[in-house]
Amino acid sequence: MSTVGETSNVLHPLVEKYLRKERMPHMACSGCGIGQVVHSVLLAIDELGLTPKDTVWVQGVGCSSRITYSTWVGDNVDAHHGRMFAVATGLKMARPDMNFICFTGDGDCGAIGGNHFIHACRRNLDVTAILFNNGIYGMTGGQVAPTSPVGAVTTTTPYGNIEDPFDMCQMAVAAGASYVARWRVTDFKALTNSLKKGIQTKGLAFIEVLLQCPTNFGRYVLKTSNPQDVLKWIKDHSVSQKEAEKLSKEELAGKYLIGEFVHRPERTGIVERYQEFLKTYQKY
Amino acid sequence: MPSGVIPGKYFVQGDEAIAEGAIAAGCRFFAGYPITPSSETSETMARRLPEVGGVCLQMEDELASIHAVGAASVGGLKALTISSGPGISLKLEGLGWGIKNEIPYVVADVQRAGPSNGVATRVGQGDFYTIRYGSAGGNHSIIALSPKSTQEAFDLTIDCFNLSEIFRCPVFLLTDETVGHTRELLVIPEEDELKVVKRFKPTVPPEKFVMYPLDTPGVINYPFPNIGEGYGICVSPYTHNSKGYASTAQDIQEKMARRLVLKVTENLDKLVRVESQKMEDAEFAVIAYGGNARPAVAAVDMAREQGMKVGFFRPIIVWPFPDAEVLKVAEKVKNILVCELNIDGQLSREVARASKGKAEVFHFGSGGVEPHLPAQISNEIRRLYK
Ligand SMILES: Cc1ncc(C[n+]2csc(CCOP(=O)(O)OP(=O)(O)O)c2C)c(N)n1
Ligand code: SF4
Ligand SMILES: [Mg+2]
Repeated sequence: MSTVGETSNVLHPLVEKYLRKERMPHMACSGCGIGQVVHSVLLAIDELGLTPKDTVWVQGVGCSSRITYSTWVGDNVDAHHGRMFAVATGLKMARPDMNFICFTGDGDCGAIGGNHFIHACRRNLDVTAILFNNGIYGMTGGQVAPTSPVGAVTTTTPYGNIEDPFDMCQMAVAAGASYVARWRVTDFKALTNSLKKGIQTKGLAFIEVLLQCPTNFGRYVLKTSNPQDVLKWIKDHSVSQKEAEKLSKEELAGKYLIGEFVHRPERTGIVERYQEFLKTYQKY
Repeated sequence: MPSGVIPGKYFVQGDEAIAEGAIAAGCRFFAGYPITPSSETSETMARRLPEVGGVCLQMEDELASIHAVGAASVGGLKALTISSGPGISLKLEGLGWGIKNEIPYVVADVQRAGPSNGVATRVGQGDFYTIRYGSAGGNHSIIALSPKSTQEAFDLTIDCFNLSEIFRCPVFLLTDETVGHTRELLVIPEEDELKVVKRFKPTVPPEKFVMYPLDTPGVINYPFPNIGEGYGICVSPYTHNSKGYASTAQDIQEKMARRLVLKVTENLDKLVRVESQKMEDAEFAVIAYGGNARPAVAAVDMAREQGMKVGFFRPIIVWPFPDAEVLKVAEKVKNILVCELNIDGQLSREVARASKGKAEVFHFGSGGVEPHLPAQISNEIRRLYK
């Protein structure tokens, strides 16, 4: 046991069990929300009994990816920026028996990888994708993201962002994913349960998490480096779907809806359909 | 794995032969995006892969298809993608991921007249340097084979798959519209006559296995464990140490870069594939590759009939460029005429470099659409022959 003032060498039991100790501590900034999301992911994995033998972690490029990459004790496959869904498609079609837990950022998924994201939803690829939405480009130093709020001052929008943000959950629902939900990083229990549900749902599970990036979103958009201020901003700018029913259009403007948007486990996806199709056409 | 090889004689296009070669080589994953003049391969794969239990996908674009192909190979399936000009430009984005992570797969490029969309249905040979140097960042070698016929499209596709496993890297089949769309005899041999290299698998337990052999850069026939085999592999876009962990250290970058180059350059003896005709007494050589080798051979025969001592040489492997073999040609003759379907001079530039001034090298180019005519080449030979 460490005493106050010493650096603790004690790892969380989930880290002991599932992550590579030689890769700890991870490289997130202090106060970053990524670690909290990883906590939920590990808990979901643990409670469902997934193992390093049957589960692969897949990433794109960005903070969420760089921090989780090559930490899972099983296999780790990190794609180019934006190509996470394309890589996940090849992996899952080659190994339909394995589970794929995929991490992506709001720029990775919504900007450079937008087309692959849409088509993975359309194919309803049977993987679990977790979108780390911090409203900004974290890794490259606070540039505007397709999720940044209107008016946001970032390093590439010094006069304020004039573009509307992208609601990727709506896109995922429209394009056909089996399971779509959005949570705040502070909704720990709901997020963990949602991850479990998503992993168990056949077809694409797309789970967006609003999380704090004090280093860049805090610094440039909110003019604070305090993670609590960023969390408060997220709280003030989000409402549950139930609360939303009571609010007017004006009151809802600029607010993220929180909760489950769709759960359609009956919708089949490319993985099952391909296996079905082979039953008819395989000759040799 | 079911072989699905269909021995026999067929009257098919080069593009179809690529698909049959791939299946014979054990390819069980294809992802592509339609583009003329390569679509016949995609169409053949779409029909044939399900028959052998393989996966064939038409993706949303070439970026997705090359990444899916690399990933499927990481998943354990031999994989192919194909494209032409504009699509090859996109595929180069994904190629670096395959190169850096040492992923075996094959990319076929059916060249058409460019730049940009160019002439979709007609031949060109403008991608010679694109495939060699197009993946940004340097620090890698490229292996590329180029067929001149339907039969070679089949044979060299198998060779490409084998080399991709032996060298643990993406390998190019650099073909062109002439070969892709020429319908001629293809003989598919019996399965036991085919030489197919299986993926090398580790013989040591995971804790002893080195995923990226940075300390032995020239090693080949090196295992590639796939996901789900208990090796806890790490694949990423970042400069990696021998475990695959991202590193910013200069010595690691140096070692990784050397590995990606030296595994090819230290094994050049395993990569010689060239064709010579009538070179024994030749005083003048004609060099061409791919589909444009066909009129070049005819032109050499015409020149011989006219009493000129002309020989023919063809790099079948275009990358790494067969420097030593080209130098031997240059030492033998006074002049070399390089015939290729681009105006800027690509193959001719390599020939001039490899010749080291031993012979005078002339570029005979065309912008494409039509291959050279034998008479055009033989006229040029007559003009230059001294
Ligand atoms: C092709 C390409 N373009 C640009 C980059 C640089 N880049 C790295 S991460 C990133 C943005 C990441 O933003 P996001 O997906 O929101 O992830 P975050 O860092 O915020 O978690 C960019 C532009 C890159 N690596 N590759
Ligand atoms: S830059 Fe932001 S998102 Fe990236 S690690 Fe730091 S706090 Fe987290
Ligand atoms: Mg971001």
